[in-house]
Amino acid sequence: MIHYIDVDVRPILRSGGEPFSVIMAALGRLEPGQGLRLYATFKPIPLFAVMAEKGFAHSANELDGGEWEVLFTPAGATPPAPSPLAQPTDAWPEPVVHLDNRDLDPPEPMVRILGAAEQLAPGQTLSALLRREPVFLFPHLEKRGFRWLGGFTPDGSTYELTVRALS
Amino acid sequence: MIGGTLSKWTMSYFAIAITWLIAAEALMAAGFGFPAADVAAADTLVIVHMVCIGWLSMAMCGALFQFVPVLVGKPLFDERWELPALVLLTAGLTALLAGFLVLGGRLPAGLWLLPLAATLLAAGFALVVADLGLTVWRARPPVGPAHFVLAGLVSLCATVALGTGFAWSLSGHGGEELGKVLATGVPLHAIAGLGGWLTLTAMGVSYRLLSMFMLAPDVDGKKSRLTLAAGSAAIGVAVAGGLFAIEAEAGLGIVLAAAAAFGLATFALYGRDVAALYRNRKRRQLELNTKMAAYGFASLAAAALLGIALVATGSFAAHVGAFAFLVAFGWLSGLVLAKLYKIVAFLTWLETYGPAMGRLPTPRVQDLVAEGRASKWFAVYFVSVWGGTASLLFGQASVFRGAAAVMTLATAGIVQELIRTRRLADVAEPLRLPNGTQPPCLLYSRT
Repeated sequence: MIHYIDVDVRPILRSGGEPFSVIMAALGRLEPGQGLRLYATFKPIPLFAVMAEKGFAHSANELDGGEWEVLFTPAGATPPAPSPLAQPTDAWPEPVVHLDNRDLDPPEPMVRILGAAEQLAPGQTLSALLRREPVFLFPHLEKRGFRWLGGFTPDGSTYELTVRALS
Repeated sequence: MIGGTLSKWTMSYFAIAITWLIAAEALMAAGFGFPAADVAAADTLVIVHMVCIGWLSMAMCGALFQFVPVLVGKPLFDERWELPALVLLTAGLTALLAGFLVLGGRLPAGLWLLPLAATLLAAGFALVVADLGLTVWRARPPVGPAHFVLAGLVSLCATVALGTGFAWSLSGHGGEELGKVLATGVPLHAIAGLGGWLTLTAMGVSYRLLSMFMLAPDVDGKKSRLTLAAGSAAIGVAVAGGLFAIEAEAGLGIVLAAAAAFGLATFALYGRDVAALYRNRKRRQLELNTKMAAYGFASLAAAALLGIALVATGSFAAHVGAFAFLVAFGWLSGLVLAKLYKIVAFLTWLETYGPAMGRLPTPRVQDLVAEGRASKWFAVYFVSVWGGTASLLFGQASVFRGAAAVMTLATAGIVQELIRTRRLADVAEPLRLPNGTQPPCLLYSRT
């Protein structure tokens, strides 16, 4: 039986905060063989790729009010059967802007993403492809109230970032 | 907060570091210490520690406070330790230099300064090691270059421990055991410091900075781990094996030969890794910092060849000063100056224009620098370092003083460029200070 550690980021999301660091911090505290039970106000699809890269499979169940419970199970362990009520929908809309910043000189990728993010209407998203994790961009996204999720593709060559303007 | 934020005191570390460098170069130009004095003379120890602690270690600490959090994607364990560490290191180094001047008879008696200095320096470095080490620990398992930083920090601890032992011993409080280590163990202290702390850390940092600034794929993890394994073996064999040999009264010859073999393997593997970074880069046109870093790498290769040649001809002991000079000024200082030129511009750009980015037109990072002007100073710097090395090898003390004077001038020229960058002096209006931005302070960053 896998032991799951609960991480509820709904209060952070409701207040417009950024839960990624909290999730990663919880991940860092997991003992070998432990899983993570995440509660969020939307289905955190971009997080699935990040967690898969770290060796976690996911199963997502929709709760009342459009909220989600996601179980991240370490590879090799058997996750419990998903609730038959699960109806996957994606609360993050399709990106309205796609940026391929992979071959731009730093810090041009960051300049372009912030420029495009400032043009998003409330709730809209943009997606960007990068060579590396844009660590200097995150504080600026946070200060300006954007949410984001990102992770490397399985081959590690591209970092996929989704940025969402507050709705 | 997640991600990379600005380290408030990194610029202060850089400023103090550069001040020590220029002071050391000016003293060499004035004929203070080696080669006018013996390589082990107290005056030479003053110069060596101004360069290794004041310049190289301070610059490295400042860079790591900024770089390690970016590397591991976690904030610094405690930003409040940065400034006390800087104060302790500065006070400790000042006391150490005064202690050496006492040792050389240039100041009246006061040998107690040496243990005091060692205590202050150990406290300062302990803060640095703990802050950086805990930052990496929080992000475990460490990734790629973070391993190099950890190995560098371990070597720093070994360097400080040996140095502290020497300080007590020189002040007459060391006892017989420490006296034995002091009598023959100085090379271990130098290898742990220059080779372990400064070189391994610079290698790790260079992997990431080069791939970032040249748009090159990261060095394959297996390859960089092998390089680090060889480097760690070199330092481990030298320090642990050396202490064992001293204890056994067996002489350091075999231990140092084994360490040198591992060291050469490290340089060869590192050369292979760096060549791959330059070869696989997407940015064809190199910036000044990556061009000048290449002269640093060339100096490292030259130092390795010089070391082989000196050992082969049995004259290493006679020319150890020239060898150490090329390592300290060609390889380490050359690389650090080249990277400072980019890091200062990048951090200044981020600090000044970050808040306006995406909202208003802002200059590019390259608009903050005038590479044509700076490249002349770098060229003069490297030529004078190589000339200085040659003059030491050929025993031309007065030529060496001339080379050191030119180095001082070239360094001042590079510093002038860094100050202009910090003051946004080369950014054309109207982009220089758009609405909502404010000019950065010279000596620290607003965070």
